[in-house]
Amino acid sequence: MTSTYASPPAGGSALATPAVVATEVSKVYGTGDAAVHALRGVSVGFAKGAFTAIMGPSGSGKSTLMHCLAGLDTVSGGKVMLGDSEVTGLNDKQLTLLRRERIGFIFQAFNLLPTLTAEQNILLPLELSGRKLHQQWFDQVVEVVGLRDRLGHRPNELSGGQQQRVACARALVSQPEVIFADEPTGNLDSRSGAEVLSFLRSSVREMGQTIVMVTHDPVAASYADRVVFLRDGLIVSELFQPTPDTVLDRLKGLEG
Amino acid sequence: MLKTTLAGLRAHKLRLLLTGLAITLGVGFIAGTFVLTDTMEKGVDKKFAKSADKVDVAVLPKGSSGPSDSTEGQLPAALLEKIRALPGVTEAQGAVRGDAPLVGKDGKVVGDMPTVGLSVPGGRLQRYELDKGRVPAGPNEAVVDTKTAEREGFTVGQAITVLDGKRTPHRFTLVGIADFGIDPDAGYRGAVGFDPATATRMTGSTTYEEIDVAGGGLDAVTRAAGGSYDVVTGAQLGDRLAKSAGADMKVIRNGLLIFGLVSLVVSALVIYNTFSILIAQRMREMALLRCVGATRRQIFGSVLTESAVVGFVGSLTGLIAGLGLGGGALALFNALGAGIPTAAVTLAPRTIVVGLLVGVVVTVVSALLPARAATRIAPIAALRTDLEPGSGRFRLGWPRTVLSALLGLGGLGLGVFGALVMAKGQAAMFTVAVSGGLVFLAVITLMPALVRPLGRLAGAIPARLGGVPGRLAVENARRSPRRTATTTIALTIGVGLMSLFAVVAASGKATTDAQLDKQFPVDYQLTTQFSGGDAGDEPVPRALTAVLRNVPQVASVTELRTKETLVGGTEERVGSVTPSSLGTVLKPEFATGSLADLRPGTVAVDQETAKGRGLRAGQTVQVKTRQGNVPLKVIGTFGTDAPVTPFLVTEADFNRYFAARDPEMIFVNAKEGAASKGARTAVENAAQPYPTVKVISSAELREQFSKAIDMVLMIFGGLLGLAIIIALFGIANTLTLSVVERTRESALLRALGITKRQLRRMLSVEAFVMAVMGAFTGVVLGVAFGWAATTAMAASAVFALPWLQVIGFMVLAGLAGMVAAVLPARRAAKASIVESLAHD
Repeated sequence: MTSTYASPPAGGSALATPAVVATEVSKVYGTGDAAVHALRGVSVGFAKGAFTAIMGPSGSGKSTLMHCLAGLDTVSGGKVMLGDSEVTGLNDKQLTLLRRERIGFIFQAFNLLPTLTAEQNILLPLELSGRKLHQQWFDQVVEVVGLRDRLGHRPNELSGGQQQRVACARALVSQPEVIFADEPTGNLDSRSGAEVLSFLRSSVREMGQTIVMVTHDPVAASYADRVVFLRDGLIVSELFQPTPDTVLDRLKGLEG
Repeated sequence: MLKTTLAGLRAHKLRLLLTGLAITLGVGFIAGTFVLTDTMEKGVDKKFAKSADKVDVAVLPKGSSGPSDSTEGQLPAALLEKIRALPGVTEAQGAVRGDAPLVGKDGKVVGDMPTVGLSVPGGRLQRYELDKGRVPAGPNEAVVDTKTAEREGFTVGQAITVLDGKRTPHRFTLVGIADFGIDPDAGYRGAVGFDPATATRMTGSTTYEEIDVAGGGLDAVTRAAGGSYDVVTGAQLGDRLAKSAGADMKVIRNGLLIFGLVSLVVSALVIYNTFSILIAQRMREMALLRCVGATRRQIFGSVLTESAVVGFVGSLTGLIAGLGLGGGALALFNALGAGIPTAAVTLAPRTIVVGLLVGVVVTVVSALLPARAATRIAPIAALRTDLEPGSGRFRLGWPRTVLSALLGLGGLGLGVFGALVMAKGQAAMFTVAVSGGLVFLAVITLMPALVRPLGRLAGAIPARLGGVPGRLAVENARRSPRRTATTTIALTIGVGLMSLFAVVAASGKATTDAQLDKQFPVDYQLTTQFSGGDAGDEPVPRALTAVLRNVPQVASVTELRTKETLVGGTEERVGSVTPSSLGTVLKPEFATGSLADLRPGTVAVDQETAKGRGLRAGQTVQVKTRQGNVPLKVIGTFGTDAPVTPFLVTEADFNRYFAARDPEMIFVNAKEGAASKGARTAVENAAQPYPTVKVISSAELREQFSKAIDMVLMIFGGLLGLAIIIALFGIANTLTLSVVERTRESALLRALGITKRQLRRMLSVEAFVMAVMGAFTGVVLGVAFGWAATTAMAASAVFALPWLQVIGFMVLAGLAGMVAAVLPARRAAKASIVESLAHD
């Protein structure tokens, strides 16, 4: 269970069918002497209906990996599959439509459009793709994140935790195949952070959502079902059913 | 501190460029005006100097400064003989000037005024430039000016016909095409040149307006001329001519400079806005400077230095642009056939000084308020990740509310007073102009509060049709009220003035149409070239009336006879109208009395004249006639709309008092329907034997007037165009800075699934909404004050709303705004999502 290995075979360590699979993904910034290898051939799968955390020290490539998986950034080599679609082969417009229809996002900060109310922000992806809103599902999501009385407020009238909960609701309401969360609790106090994380976990457990979360916080990672560890652009380890302590230990091992 | 400022400027060349562009255009216009007028002036000077160079001594009537001042010679022929006899004088020529109407190919005299007849001497004292052919010699040769020759299609070798003082036609061979360019009168009316003897014969002028002498010497000629004439050297003559032309140039220059000023005001707004946004965006940078110990004064100085550098660079490029604009305009005018004498494009030191000074001062003054705002930034702001600058709901503070209420209500009150209460005329129009200025100031102060409602209005359609990107765009246009207000106001100025002119022009047309219906209640009007000013001295031959009455298509022929005579001791015009037409074709509206009372021994007076002279029905006036003073009883007063004389008597009386005279005008009405077919040709055929008689239809008159108004409107539009372009730069500028500000927001939208195209469209729509807001405000102001100005102008003025044009302005402004958004939109779409997400 604590075995370290460079890159597991695609989906090899997944619990069930993978939602997202990366095969030999590499990413190089710059050329020649100035070239920086952010990812050096990462192969990893993310199971459907699972909550996976990606961890690693600063500069390990965890954010780059997430950007490549989500079609926000292009890869230098390798392949990314979302379900049966190859993300790496799409042009900008196709990528945009893919993100719009099949992926949800929660960023660390600046998640919401300041000109829109909380409700408008939540509905934005649905409206962009012109999909119909299931009122019942919307009500359920809003109820769970506890935003019922805040729907008419603009982001600058909400606290940081409330803003992140709006972002979560937005990601959930369109029922995407996968939600990518980039340090979703990085800017929150521990209580608001815990709220958001338990909410994410319950959306996986109760609604069957797939979530991939990048974080450097062992406590945040402990909410996941599985943690993969990156160092120097490679996956070096993974951990199932993590606790803050096991995660911390593994991190210390990585840095040592 | 200076080093920091300059380093900051170097690091942001694009920022400098964008801000500088507004000032470049403004200064470019001013500099272009100077370059154009200086170059024209220099060309004219050169031409005058060259022309005057041929003369050693010139004798002129006292106080005359050029040919335009005197249309009749004042130097006696005897003086010319005396000068010719002087020892040392090799040649002396008297300049003859008078009317010599040239007959065009259609058998009618050319132009609305008779062409000028001028003497063109051969030999050394020939001062005009010949474009083709040679100078005329002998009684059968003539030259015409280039423009007339071109317009009428005359070529050297052809025969032309010119009327003499008795309107007898004479045939000449056209031996040359001359440039009479040094003679403004000839340039305006067209000219025919003969040798001196023929010129005297044709014009009937026996005196000279100038005597040019070769040889002799100034002293000898002065002695011979005696004290009653100006005697000058050739060089002095050149200066005199140039001076009179310089006055015209000054009018052109000042006119253009007014439009330059409008452009500069718009530039100032754009610069003010740009600096305000830049300061807001650099809040942390400024705060950091304060943290490390910069004083408020240093921050203030730093912003002003930055503006001065931007102003200087912008003005320098403006000067270059001005050179291009001035030279280009000159080339364009000449390509269109203006025939402006050319010289090398002139950049006077004055142009450089004024251009740089104006540019730098306007920029620095515009940056004063933003610089003050920069000093208000607290050092602690460096440590805060603050909200987006300038956003949020705008609240009018009470000083602003009071100020805008005072300005707005005062302006509106004054406008209504000027338009409706005051006596029509200049004073009322001036009042309206002042009120327009006040209301505009009120709108400036109010604009930030108007942005949200106006934005909803202008964005109603895009928000509904544009989907999510459209809605977001409209919200974006409304999110920073101050910024949007200043951006749109810049456009309001240009569009407002444009719609004001359009409304006044349309009203002018409507007014003329309405008046023409009254004053020109007939199908055709027959007049001579010369009637009008000196009534009746060049009448329409009476014989024509009889001919016209026999034309089958003609329903009625009306004669208007006039005579200038003393009425109660003052010169007045007395006239009569063919009795059968009075009250049927020409219908003076009687205010007091009635047309039926107009019987022999009575007179009717128009209202204005009656009011001016205190005449009332029942009184008697003494009218000087052939029989001496005749007392006439005033039977009533009539409105001034009908085209009749101020004093109207019966035709029988008129003929008795002043003998039967040729009519000043003949009005012809054609029969109705099919019977009128070919009326025009028939009337023209009847008038054919009389070259000076012109046939004008009311439709033609209308068209001429309408064309003239359209021309003026087009010129104004062209000149205001620059102010509008600068305002569009302002929109582009604001958008570019907003794009920078919203980098992360755009990245978020892209991540959530907005395509590049949708992002670009969002910015286009935002620009569209801003432009329409500005244009809408401008159109509302322009139309309102166009109405006020029209109403204040004259009681008879008719207001017309050129609604197609006005809507066109808004649509065009919106589209132009979208063009302005192209570059910022591309910039926004190009940004990488991942990098932008990490953007601080």
